[in-house]
Amino acid sequence: MTQTTSSPTYYTRRLVYYVKELWRRREFIWFLAMGNFKARNASTALGLFWWVLNPVLLSLVYWLVFGFIFPSDRNIIYLMSGMFVFHFTAQALTGGANAVLQNSKLLTNLKFPRLILPLANLFEALIGFLVSLGVLLAVQMVLFVVIRDPESSPQIFFPTAFVVLLLVAIPLQFLFNLGLGSIAARLAVPFRDINNFIPYVNRIWLYLSPIIWPLTMLDTERGQDFAPYAELNPLFPLISVYRAALIGDPFDEKMLVQFAIWALVIGVFGIGLFVRYEGKIARHL
Amino acid sequence: MSQPSIVVEDLYVRFRPYVERKPTLRRTIGRRRSLEEVIALNNVSFTVNRGEAFGVIGRNGAGKSTLLRCVAGTLRPNGGKAVVHGKTSTLLQLGVGFIPELTGRRNVYLGGLAAGLRKREVDERFDEIMEYAELEDAIDRPMKTYSAGMFSRLAFSVALNLDPDVLLLDEILAVGDASFKEKSMQAMRDLLDKAGTILFVSHSLASVKEFCDRAIWLERGEVAAHGPSAEVVKAYRKSVAKQNAKG
Repeated sequence: MTQTTSSPTYYTRRLVYYVKELWRRREFIWFLAMGNFKARNASTALGLFWWVLNPVLLSLVYWLVFGFIFPSDRNIIYLMSGMFVFHFTAQALTGGANAVLQNSKLLTNLKFPRLILPLANLFEALIGFLVSLGVLLAVQMVLFVVIRDPESSPQIFFPTAFVVLLLVAIPLQFLFNLGLGSIAARLAVPFRDINNFIPYVNRIWLYLSPIIWPLTMLDTERGQDFAPYAELNPLFPLISVYRAALIGDPFDEKMLVQFAIWALVIGVFGIGLFVRYEGKIARHL
Repeated sequence: MSQPSIVVEDLYVRFRPYVERKPTLRRTIGRRRSLEEVIALNNVSFTVNRGEAFGVIGRNGAGKSTLLRCVAGTLRPNGGKAVVHGKTSTLLQLGVGFIPELTGRRNVYLGGLAAGLRKREVDERFDEIMEYAELEDAIDRPMKTYSAGMFSRLAFSVALNLDPDVLLLDEILAVGDASFKEKSMQAMRDLLDKAGTILFVSHSLASVKEFCDRAIWLERGEVAAHGPSAEVVKAYRKSVAKQNAKG
């Protein structure tokens, strides 16, 4: 069993076995994700309501900053749509780095596919993300009723038929996030320093993504220098696809293809990196 | 000759404490001042048959828990192998997979699912687990409000109701009151009657002698004695007494 054969069928069989084991334990993944969320909010008065409250507060903060302190042409819908998408990936990164370290007791005692830990973390983040999309829709409705003038606020759209893009975008982002979270988890076990870096990585990534600045900035004189690099950011095409689905931005298939490639590359690479390392994790805990 | 349930062959485990225990970036990039190896297990072989209870004794740090982790499959040995036939339930620590902020009920599910059961299977066993743990209404309170005894009763009753073929136990009978201890012993005997297998690490020499058919004594990662539990315990006692007399 411990024989190392390099034949492709050997690896295929192992992969099939691994996926089967993951599937068999799907209920555990779910219970772990829900359990962690409940535990985190067990001592708060609002409990599960935090799933809704978090995205609302997050958008309020940015609305205050960019609506009042630095008034700009970006409306709250533009901000929220980008912010929620970003937040989902940022959480995968932070949570992935912690997923293995926080569950060291499980790891040293029980045998199970270790990918369950970053996966459970990701499912927890996914629910939060789906709730935040609901919040976005609610805000769109409210603004629509209050403003009622699509001319003056062109970005307050209800989702159009392009909303079906979500059915592709969310799974792709999930794969991308899983890859990213797995890389973080893999690195954080031997190098706990990673956990200290991640908040800074997330913050700089936020500023590099088209969330608080408008795409038109890239055409301005100041933005030109940055423009060639902006699209290298995998979140650039992703957010563009989401905005086409959610707030009526024009849809560009090129962006979808671009992100799909990112998701496949990072997803496969990250998961592979993590799974190959699995057997050694227990030595570092 | 009955079927072997646990086969351990030539097990070898080493740790490089400096590199492998919480190595930070500084330690890894910087000069490695120490590369000394600690050999946790060396040349350990034994076989446990179905329906048998097998004891592991030895001083602190002799490698007992490392051995159990290899058998449980959570630690990959550097050499040799440990193979287990059958569904294994591990009790190396109590309350694995439990989240203290959640209720006892929720944690029964978490613990069972973590150990590899399906939700449906936990449903089926729930009443039995409850009866054994004697928690009554406390089951719907967060586990962090439990006393140590309540906590271990619930954890132990989850582990015993997994219906394992092989049970790996690491020094856990030390917790709980006398009646609970008796019940645990009874549950373990039932398991043995059902042709289950138990690998039992303990400092309680009396229970090893009473409970196990055979045993090994580990001394600094190597097998110092291997055979019927009464003899192994006797040899170990002698060595401890001798050392105490010296020191």
